[in-house]
Amino acid sequence: MTGYILKRVLSAIPVLLGITVIVFLIMAMIPGDPATAILGSYATPENVEKLNRDLGLDKPLVQQYFIWLGNMLTGDFGTSFALNRPVIDEVLERFNATLILAGTAFVLCSLLGVAAGVISAANQYGWADKGITFVVLLGISIPSFFLGMMMILLFAVNLRWFPVSGMWPIYGDRDLGALISHLTLPAIALAVVATGVIARLARSAMLEVLRQDFIRTARAKGVAERGVIWRHALKAAMVSIIPVLGIQAGFVLSGAVYIEIVFQWPGVGRMLVDAILKRDILLVQGGVVFVAACYVLFNIAVDVAQSLLDPRIKT
Amino acid sequence: MIAFVRLLARNRLALAGGIVLSLVILLVLLTPILPLADPDVTDTANRFKPPFSQGALLGTDHLGRDLLSRLLWGTQLSLAVGFAAAIIAATVGAAIGIVAGFYGGRTDNIIMRGVDMLMAFPYILLALAIVAALGPGLFNALIAVAAVNVPFFARNIRGVTVGIAHKEFVDAARLAGMSNTRIILTEVLPNVIPVIIIAMSTTIGWMILETAGLSFLGLGSQPPQADLGSMLGEARSALISNPHTSIVPGVMILIIVMSINLLGDGVRDALDPRLKSGALSRPMAATLVRRAGTPPPPAGRGLLEVRELQTQFHVKDRVYRAVGGVSLHVEKGECLGIIGESGSGKSVTALSVMGLVASPPGVITGGAVRYDGTDLIGAPYRQLRDMRGRNVAYIFQDPLATLHPLYRVGDQLVEAIRSHRPIGKEEGRAKAIELLAAVRIPNPEKRISDYPHEMSGGMRQRVGIAMALANDPDIIIADEPTTALDVTVQAQILALLDDLRRSRGLAIVFITHDFGVVAQLCDRVAVMYAGRIVEEGHTREILETPRHPYTTRLMACVPELGEGKRRLEAIAGLPPVVDKLPAGCAFAERCLKVQEVCRQGDIPLEGTGGRAVRCLFPEAPISEAAE
Repeated sequence: MTGYILKRVLSAIPVLLGITVIVFLIMAMIPGDPATAILGSYATPENVEKLNRDLGLDKPLVQQYFIWLGNMLTGDFGTSFALNRPVIDEVLERFNATLILAGTAFVLCSLLGVAAGVISAANQYGWADKGITFVVLLGISIPSFFLGMMMILLFAVNLRWFPVSGMWPIYGDRDLGALISHLTLPAIALAVVATGVIARLARSAMLEVLRQDFIRTARAKGVAERGVIWRHALKAAMVSIIPVLGIQAGFVLSGAVYIEIVFQWPGVGRMLVDAILKRDILLVQGGVVFVAACYVLFNIAVDVAQSLLDPRIKT
Repeated sequence: MIAFVRLLARNRLALAGGIVLSLVILLVLLTPILPLADPDVTDTANRFKPPFSQGALLGTDHLGRDLLSRLLWGTQLSLAVGFAAAIIAATVGAAIGIVAGFYGGRTDNIIMRGVDMLMAFPYILLALAIVAALGPGLFNALIAVAAVNVPFFARNIRGVTVGIAHKEFVDAARLAGMSNTRIILTEVLPNVIPVIIIAMSTTIGWMILETAGLSFLGLGSQPPQADLGSMLGEARSALISNPHTSIVPGVMILIIVMSINLLGDGVRDALDPRLKSGALSRPMAATLVRRAGTPPPPAGRGLLEVRELQTQFHVKDRVYRAVGGVSLHVEKGECLGIIGESGSGKSVTALSVMGLVASPPGVITGGAVRYDGTDLIGAPYRQLRDMRGRNVAYIFQDPLATLHPLYRVGDQLVEAIRSHRPIGKEEGRAKAIELLAAVRIPNPEKRISDYPHEMSGGMRQRVGIAMALANDPDIIIADEPTTALDVTVQAQILALLDDLRRSRGLAIVFITHDFGVVAQLCDRVAVMYAGRIVEEGHTREILETPRHPYTTRLMACVPELGEGKRRLEAIAGLPPVVDKLPAGCAFAERCLKVQEVCRQGDIPLEGTGGRAVRCLFPEAPISEAAE
């Protein structure tokens, strides 16, 4: 098992490098030069040239890339000019908030999505199935930002069950209770789409598995239907559900940007949008690379989970 | 094409989605000629007018602009951008996928590596990075959304192309000297178009959401131009005081995306042949019973008695009579063989006993199955479940498919016991080892922690038998348990079953298509054809003097050891399809002795003393056998 994890981590290295190349190339497409963007259009040519030299922008593209990569490997993601602060500090702080939001949403959508899919499949064409299918269709069709706004309107403004926005109360203790009450609405709003996608897939994976011969064997030996569904069928269906959970984790992580805007959540997505609007390129670059890298590492965990579930995978 | 549209229209939800989407598109196309206010004229004196107010049907926004007009123009923009993004993504992605799949080798490798890299990004993050580089703006948002969807199309279409590139018609085109470009355009492209359409129909809603999202963030359309996303983004600051300005564009996005998703699902179902037959129906916990009239009375024979059993498969309007009135019985400790070609209904008969026929489409429509006097047909599920494995256990054909791939065999054995009585961890382990030892698996202490895929076919079938023995049942129904095994292993398994039967006093119902197996194991045999028994009797008698022409021919199929050159005789023709059974003898079409009268009217199963045949012209008079 350790060998397998090591192998997976090693195989992630080219992917991580590829990600840095892609981000670098995308940023290299930027028309005009960043120095002018940073200094504004009234900057003197001397200042622009000096900044370009400081940023290493006068060197050939390949060399620029390796300097950038080398710096990142030592933890130096550059300095955000808009915030006048090291990019890595800002990203780490913001990522923390995103992780709490996206992590909660991911747990929610995994549990609810799989449960809904299983119940739907177990009652195929029944009322529970029709109801779940309809709700799921609604869930995958509603924009998460619109859903978030409507949830604020209903649960925060009208019913006053939850705070309207933010991660912490402005006055008062920053304890777990405060966090949970602030987290509930955004986490649900973020989880809805992924829940729908997972539920759909879980339903069809279950229907696929329920037709297999080993399900008939389980029934033939007298296993109660609950055990047939939740143990035999679900375990086999998880083999095709887990990869989708991995993909949905990416959607939740990056989709958090809308929810962070709607709920004023101090996460990395909101940071990125601000940075894009201010053309704070180093912050965008650093943020994107960091989040993408975390996602790649998370996918290794998904693969390991898959190999633990399925003994047929060669570890 | 017409068939496709008809199939689509039959799906009511897809139809509804299609109608709603058409209405929205129609409305949007008519927008330029509708008498609407200018969407961009501000009128700050009339800010935030509520819906249904004078001169503004949906009210006005924070700058006093008419919401209805803005909604329609915004919808037009959102739809146009979403469709454009989908078309760009599909075109570019399909081109990349076709090139990679068609040329293969290094081209494929390099392209797909790049695609994998792009897919390693969290989706929206990549779109953000692209917009960051290109700068905010609706066109740039369109490019970004299209770009992040390219890998999805490329990967899907590459997969299909790889399959097509190795088909005979492509080879033929190559030999005919067609250029690669022409082959791609005339041979490959037409075949991948359905896949492109499915992929588009399932992603276009998502792309509309995505462009709306970028606009919502302020990275898409820039004021005064507004699509639905930026309308929602601008309205957000007045969400609490004037929610209608948010609700109007939000609901429109919901309506559009939902109708597209409904339509998309319909398109996918209509184009994906696997879903057409309703093959994805889940089998219920027990076979459906729809029995008309009173069940036939018991004849009082045997521990298990099947009387006039009828099991059918209802697929759409067709009814397949898989089992058409079968009566059987098996005594305590007896081995009954049921023999016939595939499709003769022997397995369905066996599975009907404990309600294990997959349903839908299976339905038991008549007859009775009595175990020790109680009728199992129509018995409550709870009772049936309790008896499964405890009174009547099954052994199935292919043990790799019939054992759960992800549980250790020991756990599967313990579960069989635990389903009927509580059992502790230690006792369970001991019992599992004992069971594996009973089926002569060497090293049972170690083998209980094996997964099925780690065992050989013969070992797996021994596990299957051990599982059937777990609760000391009275009857084991073995459904072709040796068919998937090679000959030496087959002989071992048969010997094992025979020993177990004698040592434990088990009754066995043995289903097979092989007379050699029957000769070795069974006391009595029933020969089935087209869902009915055509001959039954003691094994020795049937082997010595078969009466039904079908039995004779079936036996001739078995090569006999030591008889060197005897010609292996297959039976010409196929068994009849059981949804259109001919009148009279079902075997008439293939029978060498058929006469006109054979095709008229039902032929009864006649005989005495347990020996019976369903034939007007049996190979030998039945009376001889009665002695």
